[in-house]
Amino acid sequence: MSEAKTHSIDISAMQRSQQALRIEDETVCLSVKDLHLYYGEKEALKGVDMIIPEKKVTAFIGPSGCGKSTLLRCFNRMNDLVDSCRITGEINLHDSNIYEKGTDVAELRRRVGMVFQKPNPFPKSIYENVAYGLRIQGINQKRVIDETVEWALRSAALWDEVKDRLHESALGMSGGQQQRLVIARTVAVKPEVLLLDEPASALDPISTLKIEELIHELKNDFTIAIVTHNMQQAARVSDYTAFMYMGDLIEFGDTNSLFTNPSKQQTEDYITGRYG
Amino acid sequence: MKELTTDHISQQFNNELEMLRQHFLTMGGIVETQVQDAVQALLDANGELAEEVRAKDASVNELDGLIDEECTRILAKRQPAASDLRMILSISKAVSELERIGDEAKKIAKLTSDLIDGGESPRGYVEISRIGQMVSRMIHDSLDAYARLDIDAAIKVAKKDREVDREYEAALRSLVTYMMEDPRSISSVINVIWVLRSLERIGDHARHTCQHLIFMVKGVDVRHVNVNDLADEVKGV
Repeated sequence: MSEAKTHSIDISAMQRSQQALRIEDETVCLSVKDLHLYYGEKEALKGVDMIIPEKKVTAFIGPSGCGKSTLLRCFNRMNDLVDSCRITGEINLHDSNIYEKGTDVAELRRRVGMVFQKPNPFPKSIYENVAYGLRIQGINQKRVIDETVEWALRSAALWDEVKDRLHESALGMSGGQQQRLVIARTVAVKPEVLLLDEPASALDPISTLKIEELIHELKNDFTIAIVTHNMQQAARVSDYTAFMYMGDLIEFGDTNSLFTNPSKQQTEDYITGRYG
Repeated sequence: MKELTTDHISQQFNNELEMLRQHFLTMGGIVETQVQDAVQALLDANGELAEEVRAKDASVNELDGLIDEECTRILAKRQPAASDLRMILSISKAVSELERIGDEAKKIAKLTSDLIDGGESPRGYVEISRIGQMVSRMIHDSLDAYARLDIDAAIKVAKKDREVDREYEAALRSLVTYMMEDPRSISSVINVIWVLRSLERIGDHARHTCQHLIFMVKGVDVRHVNVNDLADEVKGV
């Protein structure tokens, strides 16, 4: 056995490879400062402070109504579409406050893309779905679009499955494929951040695993924030996990520590299924 | 074990399992050398080598902790099922066996230093050499079996432990007789008996390691099955 014959074995290197991530070492992509959000009279977020590290996966977990989806929607100002919604505090994407007056919201949403729970492909061909964002940006050289469509479909681990039927309707695909198509459509416009709101909750276990594997690949190029009801999924895919409860951010830390030895009793109770 | 660590949809999970397997085999390699060196140090009255064996214990303990952490993390984050679950449980248990083998090697090294300082025993070295070789071989073969998921090899190692026990009992009888004839030798012969006892325990741990492997591959718990019935027990599964 070759391993047995190795004389100088660098154990500290093995330990380093297993070491926990530290939020202090990360580059900040999004930073949230004292964020309060009200739907009418109801305070849905009660002063959240946190950062979303760059090119890492950050998961939000917590019981229904804890504010995790609301927080996620704040990152690309989707809550602007809710009439009674009022926000104080700030969210910085790199150095600019996205709630500053004069922010180009359409451009913000290109930089911060979003994928929802139910796959929502357009009733067009697979190719046109992915090309859509490029066309509305005014890009119409066929070669550029062809290349980007292929790149986006490859990024979404879908290319091999669809390359022979790019011009068939996207509605004929399976749910898991549709969801990956939506992800391809989102990454085609080269966003910086991907927001995933329960991206796998409507899918079967195998499709779910494929999406999770995809998330792991995508973090090489994108910063990812994911909301999930399934805390095992958060454990599997994320580098950092935030646990929210009743509009408060209870605990935020690296996923390994949070799932093996959380620092707050509330987190412990939630992830062990004692309340929530 | 190859087919156990590859083929998951999640490449990350494959990597974690492969890493765990590598660390386990590395740790096995260290304790295997530890045992060989401990016996060699004793036979050559080589105090330096004995000291080296004792120093290696720190590495073994660190790896023990590291592998434990890895197992905990995989269980918490991946909720492994079936063969994956058995692999984690099996490695988690086998790693304790390896750690104890390391402890026994350290004991032998300590006794070696005592024997060097306090004068050699007049008897027992032939037995130590023979049993030492047997158990080193057992450790080697059990790690090999782990690396190749070889159940037949694992059963062979488990059977070999019987021979070690017989050799140990025979050695004990002859050394006790010797001590009765020459009471002045008692203190040094006692040290040799402790060494033999450690080697015998190492054989037990190697056998347990193989039993954990059988559980991993076949899913049957053979810890309390007579070694002669092992093959039948495993065949039906």
